[in-house]
Amino acid sequence: MNQFQYVRPSKPQAAIEAVTKDANATFIAGGTNLVDLMKRGIATPQKLVDINRLPLNKIEKENNGLRIGALALNSAVADDKLVRQKQPLLALALNAGASAQLRNMATVGGNMLQRTRCSYFYDLAMPCNKREPGTGCGALEGINRMHAIFGFSDKCIAVHPSDMSVALVALDATVLVSGPKGERRIPFADFHRLPGDTPEKDTNLEKGELITAVDIPDGPFTKHVHYQKVRERASYAFALLSVAAALDIENNTIKAARLAMGGVAHKPWRLTAAEQVLVGKPATEATFRQAAEVAMQGAKAFKHNAYKLKLGPNTIVQALRTAAAAA
Amino acid sequence: MSSETDKPAGHDESRRTFLKQSSLLTAFTIVPGPVLQAATYELDEKVAAAFEKVSLKLEVNGVKHKLSVEPRTTLLDLLRENLNLTGTKKGCDYGQCGACTVHVDGQRVNSCLSFAVMHEGKKITTIEGLAEGGKLHPMQEAFVKHDGFQCGYCTPGQIMSAVACVREGHAGSETEIREFMSGNICRCGAYSNIVAAIQEVKNGGQKV
Amino acid sequence: MKAQDKQIGAPMNRVDGRLKVTGGAKYSAEYELPNMAYAVLVGSTIAKGRLTSIDAKAAEKAPGVLAVVTHFNSPKVPGFDTAGKDPSQPATVGGPLKIFKDDKIRYNDQVIAVVVADSWERARYAARLVKAQYAQEKHKTNLEASVSDAFLPTAAKKNPKHPMNDYQRGQVDAYKTGAIKLESEYVIPTEVHHPMELQSITAHWEAPDRLTLYDKTQGTMATRRDFAKEWNLPEENVKVIATFVGGAFGNALHSWPHESAAIIAAKVVNRPVKLMLTREQMFTNVGYRPYTWQKLGMSATPDGKITAITHESIGQTSTYEEFTESTLAQTRMMYQSPNVTTRYRLASLDVCSPIWMRGPGEATGAFALESAMDEMAHMLNLDPLEFRLRNYTEQDPEKNKPWSTKFLKECYQLGAERVGWNKRQLKPGSLRDGEWLIGYGMGVGTFGAHRGAATVGAQLLPDGTVLLQCATTDIGPGTGTVMTQIAAETLGLDPKKIRFELGNSSFPKAGTQGGSSTVNSVGPATQEACLALKEKLRTLAGAAFASAKKEDVTLTDGYLTLAGNAGARVPYADLIKQGGDKAVTVEAKPGPEGQQYSMYSFSVHFAEVRVHELTGEVRVSKLVSCADAGTIVNEKTAGNQMKGGAVGGIGMALMEAAHIDDRFGRYVTKDFADYHVPVHADSPDVQVAFVNKPDPHVNNLGTKGIGEIAIIGVAPAIANAVFNATGKRIRELPITPDKLI
Repeated sequence: MNQFQYVRPSKPQAAIEAVTKDANATFIAGGTNLVDLMKRGIATPQKLVDINRLPLNKIEKENNGLRIGALALNSAVADDKLVRQKQPLLALALNAGASAQLRNMATVGGNMLQRTRCSYFYDLAMPCNKREPGTGCGALEGINRMHAIFGFSDKCIAVHPSDMSVALVALDATVLVSGPKGERRIPFADFHRLPGDTPEKDTNLEKGELITAVDIPDGPFTKHVHYQKVRERASYAFALLSVAAALDIENNTIKAARLAMGGVAHKPWRLTAAEQVLVGKPATEATFRQAAEVAMQGAKAFKHNAYKLKLGPNTIVQALRTAAAAA
Repeated sequence: MSSETDKPAGHDESRRTFLKQSSLLTAFTIVPGPVLQAATYELDEKVAAAFEKVSLKLEVNGVKHKLSVEPRTTLLDLLRENLNLTGTKKGCDYGQCGACTVHVDGQRVNSCLSFAVMHEGKKITTIEGLAEGGKLHPMQEAFVKHDGFQCGYCTPGQIMSAVACVREGHAGSETEIREFMSGNICRCGAYSNIVAAIQEVKNGGQKV
Repeated sequence: MKAQDKQIGAPMNRVDGRLKVTGGAKYSAEYELPNMAYAVLVGSTIAKGRLTSIDAKAAEKAPGVLAVVTHFNSPKVPGFDTAGKDPSQPATVGGPLKIFKDDKIRYNDQVIAVVVADSWERARYAARLVKAQYAQEKHKTNLEASVSDAFLPTAAKKNPKHPMNDYQRGQVDAYKTGAIKLESEYVIPTEVHHPMELQSITAHWEAPDRLTLYDKTQGTMATRRDFAKEWNLPEENVKVIATFVGGAFGNALHSWPHESAAIIAAKVVNRPVKLMLTREQMFTNVGYRPYTWQKLGMSATPDGKITAITHESIGQTSTYEEFTESTLAQTRMMYQSPNVTTRYRLASLDVCSPIWMRGPGEATGAFALESAMDEMAHMLNLDPLEFRLRNYTEQDPEKNKPWSTKFLKECYQLGAERVGWNKRQLKPGSLRDGEWLIGYGMGVGTFGAHRGAATVGAQLLPDGTVLLQCATTDIGPGTGTVMTQIAAETLGLDPKKIRFELGNSSFPKAGTQGGSSTVNSVGPATQEACLALKEKLRTLAGAAFASAKKEDVTLTDGYLTLAGNAGARVPYADLIKQGGDKAVTVEAKPGPEGQQYSMYSFSVHFAEVRVHELTGEVRVSKLVSCADAGTIVNEKTAGNQMKGGAVGGIGMALMEAAHIDDRFGRYVTKDFADYHVPVHADSPDVQVAFVNKPDPHVNNLGTKGIGEIAIIGVAPAIANAVFNATGKRIRELPITPDKLI
């Protein structure tokens, strides 16, 4: 790893300035992905701005919703009473990710900013447009069983690895950002990008912008929720595919629904059309299957990930089944 | 050593340029003055390197340390190489195995994935600090009794994680233990015995 | 009977347990030496070709860098010119690639440089600055594409009696004309040992001709021999220390390039050098279980008698070494079949050489054989256990010799009861619990009960304790613990007063820890050394002992005593005062029994699995492993070893696979995020049962070996259970969700 300069400002504004002014500076919070990328020479910042001591880790009620500080630890959020009561789906998604130790380090902001786990991105000796624009996409004609079925481009077919983000996009969260030009709010669905011609950009954050919090509006999704993650071992693995499902059911009729998938695109993949299929219908297997079919419209597979075309709808059905049955 | 005019290959800038640029950029740098000096006066790079360390205060197993480390030194390498606390193991160096698990202010973390400087002022507990005055911690006793290891390499991480697992309240059932211990890989496969050890400690009600 | 009499079989806690739970156990990268330097390897980024140049200027200039050693500037390693010409070292045995000797690139990530600096951080940084230029050649890394080039191993071509030759009894390929027959192909992907300890070495030239290595090795003597040879040194000038080994599972059975690199680096910088591979390098530079294609044909009579089996396999090897393993051995001896044909072939690829991985060969072969047994039982509408019983062998059908012991039927019975085999339905897909389909499967394993010569030193120390020493290693099974038990029982001494030291090439010699042979070999040496020590002490103990039998002599609480003679009681102090030597060194060797009997350990594994009907996820809900491994010296450590093998089998069955992108000849799986090994949540509470009947022919202790049979047969047991749950037969491991939905 290259040598770098290390600073630890105590105020957000100072941190923002430090990163804004220096082309090679970056924030570090939990470090669970950045340190890994630095060790492998994929990230080579010349300066790290440690934001861990900024006062951004509160979890509190805010304007008919929940505000979670960007530096709240994944474990703290997953175990938080307010979160479990108001947004249990988020707690489920968080606990499905990583390990207990990593959740004790990883922050909410950092979790969103995880980079893809694509093997080609991770190997300096193989092509990757995300890591080194213009070198080509190694996965396109390579080993792509983990890769995208939605929203990809011929420049990049990588997927976003976060579980938490799948829940947040389903829950209509908003990302609060503070930057050199002031503060702004980014709807979660617009936070991550599709690869297009610039796969090197994962998000719509601008240079120097610091995530300060995530707002989640209160909703009726306090009971019938489930996060279904399919992976190659029982725990501590990235998803082959995952589904976040939240239902509001009254007299066995679905009044409201939220549905999103992970492991299928360059960003957490909200399934709005499928949600619309669910609303007003009875919470039955037939309804779930119908929603799942709609959800998969437009999906396209590569050589090794065709199984996702079947695993996707099956996992949606399973997530909805479990959510509906949750007591 | 090569001549001064040689430029290193690739994206890596020369050390001196790096020092000049980065140390002039910000007022609140923790990099000490001598680095700036070294850069300004164009001292030999190897001389400059000697100054690339920052000071760090840490408490490890109750012992206060005042250290000087490179910012890129991970907590794991600091423990193993600088403090000779080799009980904390390196199994992958990427946060994917748990062998490096230590407690920072009582919370279990992967010491390989954080820079030591980020822990300024914190209390670190490693496997060497778990026993009190020669008396094994109940979790250590239970691991011996239930044979919760074979080669022993993942063991310190398993034990540090197990203690935290019980303290966190995540040892309520066999299933919960298995889930919340999944960040600690044991390639010898002593999982059944590790779970038995944790259950015994949990059910024994001893202070952990 | 005194407590001491029952040491063998007692579930004693490990003698090194305290060190392991306190962080006090020192592994090979954890020794403190003055002026330590740190070495990091640089690997090639092509799979085949030649190095044309290496630009190390930037690396050499980087802070703290002491040296960058490459093919272009490496000091001459004297043994590289003679090693390999030695006819006693055929190419198939393996050994380190001669690092930096030539400009040839034989596989991707082959070591092309070692960077030495005064800290890890600086060495790692500088390693990134080393740039190589290549003349690239077209590589081959895909076995399926190389099937037509597969060949009989050279050693077999040269020697018609070599076990890798084609085998037949009865008619060749007789299954083809059978009335009820099957023919199936099976694939095992490349699997990697991945012990938790990264392969590490600390190399220290204590003098220009004296080398000490703290090394991760399964054989201190073999490693000493290898590096003494590389540097043309007398063996006694090289010392190899491996007191603790953080797992190995076979990948430290012989030496590797990184060890040579560390030794060269230490020579160049004239400081002790520590080197630790990265997890990526654990895929590329220390071997793996080879990708293997197999075809199995079988025919049977309607009443369930096997009439013929043909088993063929093609395993991958490198271009510079012919690695072979006993993939087809179990097929030749496990079941009664009048016609058996086996054909073993290799395919050379531009990859690093494989190395035996736990249950080597047999675990691969058993996946095909035991899956086929299940397929045939299904065709015959027979319970798979009943089918195996109908083809049970009462003597070895391959060698036509009696078994030394075989209690596999007892294992079947124990395991079937414990797993609840009676719940199994003949028709697949019959059992379910909500969304989970439930199935049961079994798989059988066997491995030769090997024994080699071993020597143990024993001495009575002035404080009344006994010190035993042996060069053997302990990679995890608990060797020091069981040897202490054997010594305690033989001497009649409290195990707390015995210290068994191992993992040092200066100690009395023993073979490499591998092939489930350590207790079989070192156990009797320990026993005989203790008997010899007692005999020696008896001769020093005066009149009362003069005519006593050594078996009646015991060491208790500071006294030498004699069974049946309360008056015969000599304090150690008196013996010690007498002067003279109180130490013995005894070698124990296998006798002629191996010629008279077929000696094998046996195991059977029963799995209950749950397969999710929608997601295809498989969970092993029960796993019962039963073994006929002869005498069990320590049920606690032996049981643990069996459980560990079962967990390894879960990995094999459900998740482990290293994949190469053949366009680049490079692994795309390069860490534990891509290459999954089982975690806590994947493991059920594994149940173990031992028959625990001594084998009178392997050695006096009656042991047969455990390490390999713990994993052999587990993967097919799980695959068979998946079939029973779903009706889907997966013949290519691992059984991941995509294959089941």
